[in-house]
Amino acid sequence: MLYTELSSATQKEALERFKAKGFPTNKWEEWKYASLKSWNEKDLDWTPASLHESSTASLQTQNGNTTFQGSLPAGVEFISFDAFLASNPALAAKWEQRRPILDQNSLYDLNTALVANTQVLWVKAGVSVVQAITHDFIVSASKASAIQSRLIVFLEADATLTLIERAFTKEGSAEVLSNFVQEIYVSEKANLTYVKEQDLAANTSHIDHTFITQLSDSQVDLFTFSLNAEYLRNNLHFYSDGEHVVSNLNGLYVPGENQLMDSHTVVDHRKPNSESNELYKGVLMGNATGVFNGKIFVRPDAQKTNAFQSCKNVLASTRATMNTKPQLEIWADDVKCSHGTTTGQLNEEALFYLRSRGISLANARTLLLLAFVQEVIDRVTHEETKLRLTDKIISKIQTSLAI
Amino acid sequence: MLSIKNLQARIGEKEILKGINLEIKAGEVHAIMGPNGSGKSTLASVLAGREDYEVTGGSVDFLGKDLLDLAPEERAAEGLFLAFQYPVEIPGVSTTNFMKSAVNEIRKYRGEEALDAVQFLKMFKEKMSYVNIDQSLLSRALNEGFSGGEKKRNEIFQMAVLEPKLAILDETDSGLDIDALRIVAEGVNKLKSPDNATIVVTHYQRLLDYIVPDFVHVLYKGKIVKSGGKELALELEERGYDWIISALGE
Ligand SMILES: Nc1ncnc2c1ncn2[C@@H]1O[C@H](COP(=O)(O)OP(=O)(O)OP(=O)(O)O)[C@@H](O)[C@H]1O
Ligand SMILES: [Mg+2]
Repeated sequence: MLYTELSSATQKEALERFKAKGFPTNKWEEWKYASLKSWNEKDLDWTPASLHESSTASLQTQNGNTTFQGSLPAGVEFISFDAFLASNPALAAKWEQRRPILDQNSLYDLNTALVANTQVLWVKAGVSVVQAITHDFIVSASKASAIQSRLIVFLEADATLTLIERAFTKEGSAEVLSNFVQEIYVSEKANLTYVKEQDLAANTSHIDHTFITQLSDSQVDLFTFSLNAEYLRNNLHFYSDGEHVVSNLNGLYVPGENQLMDSHTVVDHRKPNSESNELYKGVLMGNATGVFNGKIFVRPDAQKTNAFQSCKNVLASTRATMNTKPQLEIWADDVKCSHGTTTGQLNEEALFYLRSRGISLANARTLLLLAFVQEVIDRVTHEETKLRLTDKIISKIQTSLAI
Repeated sequence: MLSIKNLQARIGEKEILKGINLEIKAGEVHAIMGPNGSGKSTLASVLAGREDYEVTGGSVDFLGKDLLDLAPEERAAEGLFLAFQYPVEIPGVSTTNFMKSAVNEIRKYRGEEALDAVQFLKMFKEKMSYVNIDQSLLSRALNEGFSGGEKKRNEIFQMAVLEPKLAILDETDSGLDIDALRIVAEGVNKLKSPDNATIVVTHYQRLLDYIVPDFVHVLYKGKIVKSGGKELALELEERGYDWIISALGE
């Protein structure tokens, strides 16, 4: 059933680990609300056909195959991961020390076993990439398929990069389980801004694992905008492995009818004097299910850590549910940590006020929901992306409320 | 214009309005006074269409339509306006932002063309001068951190923009300093015409020096127990409500 003709020992071992566990079920604590159990029984295509959608993005991942179109900006390279490791022993050594947290993640093993093509987007030391690099991530299949994709982003010291990812399904695709692993390395004083727009089809399940290692004086501003998919799971990890690291995690999910969106975040403070700010917001419509699980680890060495986490949700329908679980594990004593989660309905008083001015109930709700999500959108500094996301979110909210 | 007949309303098990009768014609100003908790704001809310209140009896005709049958936004589009006693704070929504939606939705309801950005700018500017309100206030999140007086001015600014046929001002004078009271009252007077009417809910005669009522009504325990001309307000200021209540034989 499962493709087993694998070349490397690493892949074979990873496959055995995956086979022993299978897809996560709701019996696994970390996957309690986001079971993928039904995929264990499906007759799946494990090696999807290659795809050639036209796209204007520089970086493209089409059914797991990642390419770079057009000319690379100065100081940026795009090469296979094996070649990258072989030609850069010093960087390879650093890479080996990044220690990702892989508990209850059989999908990472599945990805390691079956991923066909792993490329590295590599920004050299001191290079500031002026133009944002757009990344179109496209999946499509003619029969039920599992698609593995992997991308490595490596920023050397003092490098600066903005990445805009748009994940979507090609129209007319059969059922897809898209399993996307990204490992990102942000060296000393480097700066990364990364906006993810997840707008996939009603029969796509997309699992995004983004593991980011940050060294001293680096900053990462990450945004996850979850707009559409049958099932969306984000495993977002930050390994804060230096001093004066700034990690900003922003998330916005707007699931509607028959959609599940699960954000599992980890911020692992391993060294002193760093900060993390996490702001997640959700609007749940129809019979949507939302999950937020935010872990913050402050290791014994990480004195003077500032870690903040906030997750606020609005249930815009009586049939929607939201599950939140902040988990703070603090082993250092001189730290500032705070967290807060809220889930509520729209303010009736405010709705009545707006209606008394002549605004219809539907528009009043949209207005209040937009006001609620604006805080996250406003943090995006890339204007074009901000406008596109605003339009998409307005139309998503309007169509979901009209059901 | 407005004809209220035997209106009764309650919230939960508590009966608040116990048979209100009131007739208002175009061009008139009516003042409603009465002790705290007598039901003045409840009457205003029921007229504006707040759904927390259950209307248990009576009828309200507004310009030939059954008002109680309309959604709050339809009442606004028909020309009803309520200046709230306690305007709500709405984080993330500015006055200019939602007033644009409000104006264009109402225009659509009436079959009129939508206004564009330039027309809004001009109109807002003119209406701002009515109540001497600043643009910066209108760009801020609605009522968030507004002073008591700023909230009330903002209510009257909205009234000026919407040009209602019937405006209900629920204690718009409370929280205003002496100059602001005069400015707001002048704004209201400027909007007065033979085609529209105003209901002023207040505790103090002072406001009625500026907005001179044609009729004064006393609401007590959910009923209008006395009506008169503007001299009734002066008498209430002097004597309080006791003489009216004791005349009721309670
Ligand atoms: N949501 C509610 N739940 C329970 N009782 C309510 C509610 N709203 C109003 N009431 C009660 O109804 C009565 C009338 O209240 P209302 O606000 O209409 O009085 P008012 O005449 O406007 O008073 P004031 O002069 O103090 O503004 C009061 O006893 C009040 O406590
Ligand atoms: Mg009142």
